[in-house]
Order: sequence, then C-alpha cells, then structure tokens
Amino acid sequence: MDSFDSTTKKFKIPLLTDSVSAGFPSPADDYTEENIDLNEHLISNPFSTFFLRVKGDSMINAGIKDKDLIIVDKSLTAKPGNIIIAMIDGEFTIKRLSIKNNELYLKAENHNYPDFRFKNHVDVQIWGVVIYSIHSYL
Amino acid sequence: MRISNIDAIALIDANNFYASCEQNINPHLRNKPVVILSNNDGCIIARSPEARALKIKMGTPYFKVKERLNKLDVAVLSSNYSLYGDMSRRLMNLLKNYCEQIEIYSIDEAFVSISRPNDENLYPWARSIRSLIYQNLGITITVGIGENKVRAKIANKLAKNIDYSAGIFDLARTENENNYLKRISIDKIWGVGKQTSNWLQSKGIKNARELRDMEENEIIKKLGIVGKRLQLELKGHRCLPIEKNKKSKKEIQVSRSFGTPITKLEDLTQALATHAIKASEKMRSQNLQSSDIRVFARTSKYSSQNYQRSAHRKLTSATDDTNKILKIVVELSEEIYNPEYKFSKAGVLMQDLTNSEYLQQSVINYKSQKDLKKSANLMRTIDLLNKRFNNNAITWAITKNPQSWKMNKNFLSLSSTTDIEQIPTIVK
Repeated sequence: MDSFDSTTKKFKIPLLTDSVSAGFPSPADDYTEENIDLNEHLISNPFSTFFLRVKGDSMINAGIKDKDLIIVDKSLTAKPGNIIIAMIDGEFTIKRLSIKNNELYLKAENHNYPDFRFKNHVDVQIWGVVIYSIHSYL
Repeated sequence: MRISNIDAIALIDANNFYASCEQNINPHLRNKPVVILSNNDGCIIARSPEARALKIKMGTPYFKVKERLNKLDVAVLSSNYSLYGDMSRRLMNLLKNYCEQIEIYSIDEAFVSISRPNDENLYPWARSIRSLIYQNLGITITVGIGENKVRAKIANKLAKNIDYSAGIFDLARTENENNYLKRISIDKIWGVGKQTSNWLQSKGIKNARELRDMEENEIIKKLGIVGKRLQLELKGHRCLPIEKNKKSKKEIQVSRSFGTPITKLEDLTQALATHAIKASEKMRSQNLQSSDIRVFARTSKYSSQNYQRSAHRKLTSATDDTNKILKIVVELSEEIYNPEYKFSKAGVLMQDLTNSEYLQQSVINYKSQKDLKKSANLMRTIDLLNKRFNNNAITWAITKNPQSWKMNKNFLSLSSTTDIEQIPTIVK
C-alpha cells in the first residue's frame, strides 16, 4: 500500500541495497548485514598483533604444521601452557612455555626437537603469545 | 602565577625509532649495531643504541664509513617507510588509550594531555605506558611532562640526558627547576630557530632559564607575540593548545632523489609522472583537490652546477583526476627540462588545495558534470583496486618503462608487518 502513490498513479520501486530490477525483492533484504570479518573475531588487540609463518614441524603435536600462518598478540603476558614466539640466538622460535620442577622452560611439541632451557642461553626474549594458527587444507 | 596543575602535557617520543622497528621484527638484528640510511642510501639517519655506542655519527654519508661499518659488523639498512609507517600507526593508537587528547607531531612523537591524579604524581602513569609500549611493539619511549608544550619538550630532553631519569622527567614537579632549565641551551628550545638563537646569544642569553627571566619588552620588541608566547610557556603558562585535528595540509608534495642523476627528458617526465600519480592518490585519500600544480627539478647540492627550475599551472577548477594532472605534469616537465644539467632530484607539488566535499563547481554544463562524475568513479575504482590488491595493481602506462632513475634502496628490509608475502618466518 505504501508504495502506491495515488497522485501519479505509478508504483514507486522500493530502494534496495541490492539492485533488483525485476521480480520480487529478496525477502532477505531487510536482514542484510556486513560480511563476517575474521580480523574482528580473531584479533582483539590489532595494534599489538603480528603475523608470522611457520617453517618446519617442531610443533606438530600441538597441531601447528609447516607453512601455517601464526597470529601473535604481543600485548599478552606469557603464562605456562601458552604457545609463544621467542627470539633466541638471532632466530624466531615457536615453543610451548612449560614448567617442570618449578623451572620454566620451552617445550618443542615434537620428540625430535630438544626442549629449551633458559639457563643455557644468554640472549632470549619472549616476543609474543600465539593466539591462533591457520592451516590451509588445499 | 602558574596555571593549575590539574592538566599536564607530555611529549612522548620513540627512541631510535627506525632502528627499533627493524630490531623488533628481525631477530638477527636484536642486540646488534644497526644503522638506517636516508632515501637513496645517502646518509645515516638512525642508529640503534649498539651503533651509538660504537660512536657512529648521525648524518654521516654512507660512502665515507662503508668500510668501517663493514669491519665493525654493523647492519646497514635502507629506510623502510612501509614498516615505520605501520609501527607509527600502532604506537599512536596505543598511546590514545592512555591519555585524554593526542596530537601526532611526527612519525615518532606526540604531544598528549593527561589529568594529574590526586597526588599529582604522573610517574606511575608514565612508567606503565613505557612498559606497555615496550611489550607491545618492542619500542622504548621517552616521556617528558610539563605544564605546556614548550616545557614538555624540555622535560623530554632532560629525560634523555639525565642518567637516573629512566626515560621519564616531570618538569612541573621538580624542586630545583632553575638548575634543570640551565642545562637546556638556547638553540635546543622548541620554537627557537637559528636566527633567534644567534640574536639571543648576542644579548648574553645562553639557556632556557635566562630566556625565561629575560626582560619581556626586549623579547617583544624583537620577536613580537611569538617571543612573548615562548617566554610565557617557559614560565609555565599554557599558550599553545593540543591540536587534535591538525589543519588540513596546505600542499601535498611528492619528490625523490634519483639513484643516479638524469639528463634525458623522458626520464624526467617519467619520474614526475610517477610522483604525480602518487600525489593525486594522496589528494583523493584526503578529499582534497588542487588548482595549482607545480613541478620542480634540481641538480645536486654538492655539484658545481647549481641549477634549479620549477614551473606551475593554475587551473580554473580544482581537480584530483590523475589523467588531467598527468597531462599537465608532462607539459610542465618539458618546460623545466634543460639538457645541460644533471638533475639529482625532482618532484611535484599540489598547491591551492580545497576540500572536494565542499567544492563549488563554477559554471559547468550538464555534459562536463557527467564527465566529472565518470572520472571520479574511475579514480575511486582505481584507488579501491590498489588498496585491495597491492599498490600499483593499476597504474598508468608511462610508469611501466624501465625506471633507470629509481632511488637506490639496496639494503631494504621486508614489509614484515604489512604484507602477508613478507611476514617473518619461524625457523625452529
């Protein structure tokens, strides 16, 4: 009824976000929302979040595989159990921060790789906490 | 005399910003001496603390110290503005959460305003943002606090120079202010240029304390209201506000030095065209249009030929259309070209800028209005595509020939924080 203009005897075409030139307007039109934005859902601290790429299988038991995309939030303080990125001897390293006999150490999630003891190294920095890894199945 | 201490102004800046950006994202550079070279790999413009400790000087031309840097195992990098720009954006956005107002003053410094807590002590606040920024970005900041901008700048200098300050200094809460102001020589005060500094020194004024206490009339007579304002700020009054929305720019410039000097017209034209495309894109991203387009080129400052030329074209109606601007820039480049000279730098300037949102199209007929809309749509599409895919996904053919004049960036690090193809690799 609203779309019928009595003075001009013409139908007004309702304005839609999608262009519908013929037929009925989509019943979903009133429910259109923005696309799902993964940035918004995966990243809560965008200004301290960085992306890195995994090479190798040292974290295979944690489900992190070669070529996976890693999302790191540097604003988080690492806690035992977290998977973390560290700078060790001039390289980025990915390990699980673990605790055994009251001693913190970095655990590789692959039996072929050694664990990492802090006391054996001088130059270590925990760089950030891994919040997601993204794996491609194609 | 002092204004109330409820609000304070802080000048926050990043230490060794460019070098810190590189060290944060590249583990090889951690704890290593790093220097960054200016555009075209000319001079040293930033040094990591490790490089400072080796007494490598700012501003040194690279070719003069190449051997020495090599021997000392110093990492040498070209300036990587996509990395520094991204880290700057992160830094400023993080700071925003911890202050009331922020004025971004340069790529690595900002004035912020902050309320003093009941005990008036801002050191805990400064310490917490300092450790926050370090944890989040791997960047160390210096916090200088004062009643106003001039004193915040001074406090920032003091924070850097006093060993026990730990990167924080509050000039409004110090007992022996006179001693501290005496340490700031006159030419280091914000807003004092070379000429003013010379004049003041001829009057026997050598430091900030002496300028603060100088006879007011003498300052006003020579420096006018600007000088009076400066003195008032030194005394602790606030004259210069935090400018949250900096006035839109008066002009947009894109210019670069050439990798090797050029003598051919086609090279000059191609370089200017490349800059013009960039400048028009910049204008559109800020909703600006220009009605006065200028190009310039000059020979090296160090060469015996000291030649500089510029030419400009005024337009009847402002534009941000790359096609139109390119046509003009190509014509202007012929005007300034001279085969006798080796040009080492060239650029374009978009002047007389107006905001395109409020643009009054003067007398235009229906057809030209349609054309305008068409060109605006085309430009918008190109900008979108270039944003969506990487830069220059779509560009103009003139830029596609080999660019022999391209700037030297022989030691450029990766766009590690902004390009998915260039993100760092975890090896172990």
